[in-house]
Amino acid sequence: MALQDLIMNLQQFWAKQGCYLAQSYDVEVGAGTMTPDTFFRVLGKRPWRVAYVQPSRRPTDGRYGENPHRVQKHFQFQVIIKPSPLDIQDIYLDSLRACGIKLEEHDLRFDEDDWESPTIGAWGVGWQVMLDGLEITQFTYFQQAGGLDLFPIPVEITYGLERLEMFLEGKDSIYDLDWSKDVSYRDLRWLEEKEFSEYNFKAADIERLQTAFLLYQKEAQQLIDRRLLLPAYDCCLKLSHLFNLLDSRGAISVTERVKLIAEIRHLVNQIARLFVSLEGED
Amino acid sequence: MEFLLEIMTEEMPYAHVKLAHDQLINLFRQELTEARIKIKELRTSGTCRRLVVVADIEEKQSDREDIILGPPKKVAFTEDNKFTNAAFGFARAHNISVEDLEIISTPKGDYLGFKKKEEGQPAKKILPEVIPRVLSSLSFPKMMRWNEGMGRFSRPVKNLMALLDGEPLQFAYLDWPVRPFTFGHRFHSPLQLTVKSWKEYIDALRKNKVIVEPEERRRIILEGAKKLLEPYGAQLYPDDELLERLVNDVEHPFVILGSFPEKYLALPIEIISTVLREGQKLFSVTRQGKQLPLFVGVADQIADPKFLIRQGYERVLKARLEDALFFWEQDLKVPLKERVDQLARIVFQEKLGTYLEKTERLKKLVVFLGQQLGEKEILKTSLQAAELCKTDLLTEMVREFPSLQGKVGGLYCRVQNYPPSVAKAIYEHYQPQSLDEPSPSSLEGAILALADKIDSLVGAIGLGAEISGSGDPLGLRRYAHGICKIILDHRLRLSLTKLIRKSIHLYGEKLCLNEKETVEACLGFFTQRLRFIYEKNGFRYDLINASLQTGIDDIYLSFLRLKALEELKSSPAFEPFVLMVRRVNNILRGQPVFKFNEQLLKEKAEKELQAAFEIVKENALPLIQQGEFSKAQKIVFKLQSPLNNFFDKVLVMVEDRKLRQNRLALLHNIRDFLFKIADFSQIVLAGEKENQKGKA
Repeated sequence: MALQDLIMNLQQFWAKQGCYLAQSYDVEVGAGTMTPDTFFRVLGKRPWRVAYVQPSRRPTDGRYGENPHRVQKHFQFQVIIKPSPLDIQDIYLDSLRACGIKLEEHDLRFDEDDWESPTIGAWGVGWQVMLDGLEITQFTYFQQAGGLDLFPIPVEITYGLERLEMFLEGKDSIYDLDWSKDVSYRDLRWLEEKEFSEYNFKAADIERLQTAFLLYQKEAQQLIDRRLLLPAYDCCLKLSHLFNLLDSRGAISVTERVKLIAEIRHLVNQIARLFVSLEGED
Repeated sequence: MEFLLEIMTEEMPYAHVKLAHDQLINLFRQELTEARIKIKELRTSGTCRRLVVVADIEEKQSDREDIILGPPKKVAFTEDNKFTNAAFGFARAHNISVEDLEIISTPKGDYLGFKKKEEGQPAKKILPEVIPRVLSSLSFPKMMRWNEGMGRFSRPVKNLMALLDGEPLQFAYLDWPVRPFTFGHRFHSPLQLTVKSWKEYIDALRKNKVIVEPEERRRIILEGAKKLLEPYGAQLYPDDELLERLVNDVEHPFVILGSFPEKYLALPIEIISTVLREGQKLFSVTRQGKQLPLFVGVADQIADPKFLIRQGYERVLKARLEDALFFWEQDLKVPLKERVDQLARIVFQEKLGTYLEKTERLKKLVVFLGQQLGEKEILKTSLQAAELCKTDLLTEMVREFPSLQGKVGGLYCRVQNYPPSVAKAIYEHYQPQSLDEPSPSSLEGAILALADKIDSLVGAIGLGAEISGSGDPLGLRRYAHGICKIILDHRLRLSLTKLIRKSIHLYGEKLCLNEKETVEACLGFFTQRLRFIYEKNGFRYDLINASLQTGIDDIYLSFLRLKALEELKSSPAFEPFVLMVRRVNNILRGQPVFKFNEQLLKEKAEKELQAAFEIVKENALPLIQQGEFSKAQKIVFKLQSPLNNFFDKVLVMVEDRKLRQNRLALLHNIRDFLFKIADFSQIVLAGEKENQKGKA
């Protein structure tokens, strides 16, 4: 089974669970959690069910295409259901069965791993799901986002698609995976990994990144002031990615790190608060 | 009667399970006692998916008799012995007739009243009230909510089952499901199971692939590992914490033995075992202390007939070891010495500067410590170790496995051919991380560890860090405990105050508090921590006070002092001596200090006392200096009889002012001298315990 079959299986499974199948968001994000389909929809009281593939960028994880496990961009399959169903663990296990995994023959464990994202003021509790010692999913009951207590409680299930596929194909290198019958992960991604690693670690111009950071920061605030919350949030995503790039260039000291994260969080928290208060007015 | 409660949850964290077991015991004991239900036995059991309480309790509450007092006899009866309106009113208010009232005698006099008997309710009626109270009182460091429910817990609650002698108890708590059955293993037997007793419960679950008792799971893991390793003549590399986590994490342990390619044995066992433990919760395997290319894992399974699990673990492990080997080889290309300058790039603490600055301070602190301890020959080693000890923070290995800091530095030192004593000191310098961990074994390691910890502690306290809170977010307690433990283990004689001052000076202008404030805050903190350590070691609180009151500047001396008190506390001379010291203290209370003049001694008894005191002082002082408190104390006991004699024969508070002041001065000298041994006024004698405790 190729990676695209895995994606199709998961899409089919979660569509049957009533999830709307979103398309990947078109701004760089570090994780599926950060896209508007998760961030805005977990706020407030309205029920929500969504599933989507989200390319996720983590510049510091770049390894020039030389490490068989680490890449600066990977693909997450993200599921959000609000309120979290009482039998969500069982539903999740069924999704693995739907991908052809015979759970009775393996060691599957829900291993304590709470999640938090200081930049978007969010945290939750849950597990990393380990399959024969391999982490395949992050499973989280969100408790807070944008600095706000959430209720009803959403559950987030994030599959690491490459990890899961390596398990299914029994391969030792990410680049050996089949995306489809004819196209390998190497064909699609190796050059990208090599060039982006060069960019992330060496070529990105620090000063221009810093300038861009300041520009987006100002833009976000003026958009918040005009109550244009979705565009303002896009600016925050840009800021988060610029922060990650500066970090991989080694241009952020320990003190600055705390300061910059606090600045982004400040913007995001404003957006979350306004969004919730405006939603109440509908 | 047998009471059985099972709280089924989604997988709870190990730390939460431990907390829940303690709380369940305490809460049920408290609630049942309050409800007047006697407990014969009460214990907990379970896995990460089920918290189980099993108890043997009385089948009903004990009966209760309340005495209800009404008006005093005088008010309740008229002079011709008839009930007054007050008596009728009281009876009416309690809905009984006046004929049923009786006279009840109390220390305050006789009253009209009655005894209200309440028969105990059956446990079956009481438990449905008790269980919800217990459930609502359980708390965890991080609580969560789920779905749209109002409850908060460690993880979502799936099922509650409560049985009393096999009969399901009817109760409700929030919207949590209460059902008269339980469930087996998630994959192997997710069936509903109905049981009638604890024994049936364990047996039914065992048949359905859940081993309820943690003890049994531990045994299965250890015996399984032993059996698999026997053919290799090998053992598990001991790791109790990992074992306890695994015991918690699986409902049905199945032990697997796997291997990894021999080329990774180029890595030291510390690194291999960390890779195994932190990534995948695997045990390392050794033979005669040497790492073998094998691992032991524990799956939540009943078998692995196709070796799928083993192969899965092996594949992931190989990738992780490959990473670690890559880091090892890359890191070793740069000599640690060349990394020192880069320490300027990493921040130790925002206001306290970089690790390069810290390194400079550590170099000066180890020199200072070496001089204080009179250990000059290790100076060169200590200096080199101090210079290099933080460089491993710049390595990929420590970035990947932060728990290996220090150890990695030591290992790299060894490979890069620095002197073994330097490598060892660096390797050990984060030790001990807790009071249960060993101190650094080498003196060089101990000195570097002391320098590192005092620098961190003084820095944090000097910036005004909170030291009275319940948690230990900055690790200050860990530092203080580490310092005390190293000093005690290595029997180091040094002045803590001087060390703190030295450390403050090395910070220059960086600290917020001034020198006096910082020293006082540090000493206060150390006194508190030392008390904790002494109490933990089972010393009596009043003996601890008697030692601590004389100061903690020389921590090892303070310990010897305490040990001597402990040894002597049951000696027949001890109690009379303590009483005598109190007599001295009483007479001196409120008196200023006068100058002693031997010429003014008049009576025989006071001359004898002074003579005895001189001899005792001369013999005991050198012993005190050496910390031989027990021997010193035995000499000091010899003051008992001349003091007795003195108080019998000599009137201290005589009219003659000169004589009086001189006698007080003599006693004052004795008291000051005794204080060098201990503050005897803190000691509580048998029979005084309760009264004195409040004062201590």
